Amino acid sequence: MAVLDQTGGVARAAPDRARPREKALRRRSPALRRAFPYLLVAPAVIYLLGITLYPGAYAIYQSFYLVRFTEWIPVGFDNYVELWSDSEFWQALLNTLIIGGIALTLECVIAMALAFFAYRDALIRGWRIVFLMPMLFMPSAVAFIWKLAFNDGRVISDLLRKIGLIDGNLDFLGNVWLARSTLIVADVWQWTPFLFIIFVAALQSQDQEVEEAARLDGASWPAIFWNVSLPMIRPVIAVAVVLRGIDITTMFTNVFILTKGTPGGTTETISYFIYRQGFQTFNFGYASAAAVVMLVVTILAAQLVVKRAFRSGKA
Amino acid sequence: MEKRRKSKGDNLVLRYLVLGSWALFCLVPILWFLSIGFRPRTEIITPEPIYWPTFSLDAWRLLLADWPIFDYLRNSVVAVAGSVVIDLILGIPAAYSLTRYEYRGRDDIGFYILSTRMMAPAIVAIPIFFLFRNMGLLDSVWALMLIYAAVNLSIVVWIIRSYMLDIPKELEDAARTDGAGDLRILWEVIIPACLPGIITASVIAAIFAINEFLFTLLIASTKSAYTMSVALANFTGGSDGVIYNAIALVSFLAFLPILVLIVLIQKHLSRGLTMGAVKG
Repeated sequence: MAVLDQTGGVARAAPDRARPREKALRRRSPALRRAFPYLLVAPAVIYLLGITLYPGAYAIYQSFYLVRFTEWIPVGFDNYVELWSDSEFWQALLNTLIIGGIALTLECVIAMALAFFAYRDALIRGWRIVFLMPMLFMPSAVAFIWKLAFNDGRVISDLLRKIGLIDGNLDFLGNVWLARSTLIVADVWQWTPFLFIIFVAALQSQDQEVEEAARLDGASWPAIFWNVSLPMIRPVIAVAVVLRGIDITTMFTNVFILTKGTPGGTTETISYFIYRQGFQTFNFGYASAAAVVMLVVTILAAQLVVKRAFRSGKA
Repeated sequence: MEKRRKSKGDNLVLRYLVLGSWALFCLVPILWFLSIGFRPRTEIITPEPIYWPTFSLDAWRLLLADWPIFDYLRNSVVAVAGSVVIDLILGIPAAYSLTRYEYRGRDDIGFYILSTRMMAPAIVAIPIFFLFRNMGLLDSVWALMLIYAAVNLSIVVWIIRSYMLDIPKELEDAARTDGAGDLRILWEVIIPACLPGIITASVIAAIFAINEFLFTLLIASTKSAYTMSVALANFTGGSDGVIYNAIALVSFLAFLPILVLIVLIQKHLSRGLTMGAVKG
């Protein structure tokens, strides 16, 4: 673990020895001066390579082996071939897209609607913290809130029965869409505030005069919001949605606590699939193959989507 | 004038109806879960939900007697605080380098740092697990500290970078004409000037570290490394099932400090959460 040990060599020298070091630096060669910015950024980059490049290479290497406890048997591309024909893997991929897609869409629509009503309201500004509260709970705690409400405590069933929507109890773990909806509700409840606060901040920090001009022209608020305000904050929306999208496609905690993939693997996300293959059936080579596939997708997404979102966010 | 302020499509009743309902949707589950923390175990998992339970301090007694809650608390504090310190030591010089210098490959390095934010924990979980096992660091707070620092470093660098970009160049130039070198300028001019950014980055990194689940689940296996976040998942009493009142209490023990931190940085929150993309 030489990688992690080298951390902060340059950085730690910074505070107390700043002065003599700097003088020495100036007197020294121009080469050192040119290297200086690289030296400043190097510890962070080396540290990050330790959790990306090293594990990535390790996963690729391991994906060509059948790992049985301490024994590694080389199997070539067998893991990938098996993965290709593994319906559970495709199911997990599909579930991640379905659950993530629905949750992300709901979060965007709700956050946008709330931001529309809230951003010009001084009264709400003081109460903003109320809207943030779900985000401040540990995700594992949130998962337990909804586990108790949906499954163990049957509170949701009871409430639905009281308003006359259903008879008896709903088995939220027994039905595909009910189980998926528990994951969606938990995610929407916790993370809509994330998008909400970003949208509100962006809407409030934009140039008010453009809206004012549109209003004097007699446009209605929904029209102004849709045609004037939203296009202006589009770069920020892109950044926020990309960040939320990343987190939602790696959903693990809620699945682990709420559903464990039931019923029949229809709520298993790709993260949970890798975890289950690796740490429950100890099929490490196979799990690594799935991780490598996910890694490739991540790198592609990073190049295509995230780079663009953050570039435009800067401009 | 008043007439002009209100325009078409500005319906106050609808506005407060929508915002009020969502506020209730946010608050009611929290208040209900708080009530779970103060009711006896027999009134939590019942055939019919009990909405007006009897008050009880069972959960406190249970936590203090049966669960090493102070160990969990200590592990969380040590791992989280340590990881934030590592992040600042590595992140501040990196952010300084990315903002105040022009050199080849700078933007690519910046984007590489950002892109590590997108790495799903599950992708690297198995290699990291083997790595820490080979180093003999499984079930250790130090391993958690190192991994939390790695997970949050990209966020810290990018938030601080965003604040450093706002510092006027003249401030630096003035110090330079006084004969200060690069590192002294960083320490005496830049760091004080972007302190709000450093605090925002620290708070957000700390919250993400408190929340971290998958790595902690894999690394920690006894009370010597369990943090609050993962300890929750172990509050089960065998045949009695999940011990919800203890879970509720621990949730609120973690919630309160986070609430305080967030109130402190409220103005900077959206900027921090978008890693600097919103200047709100």
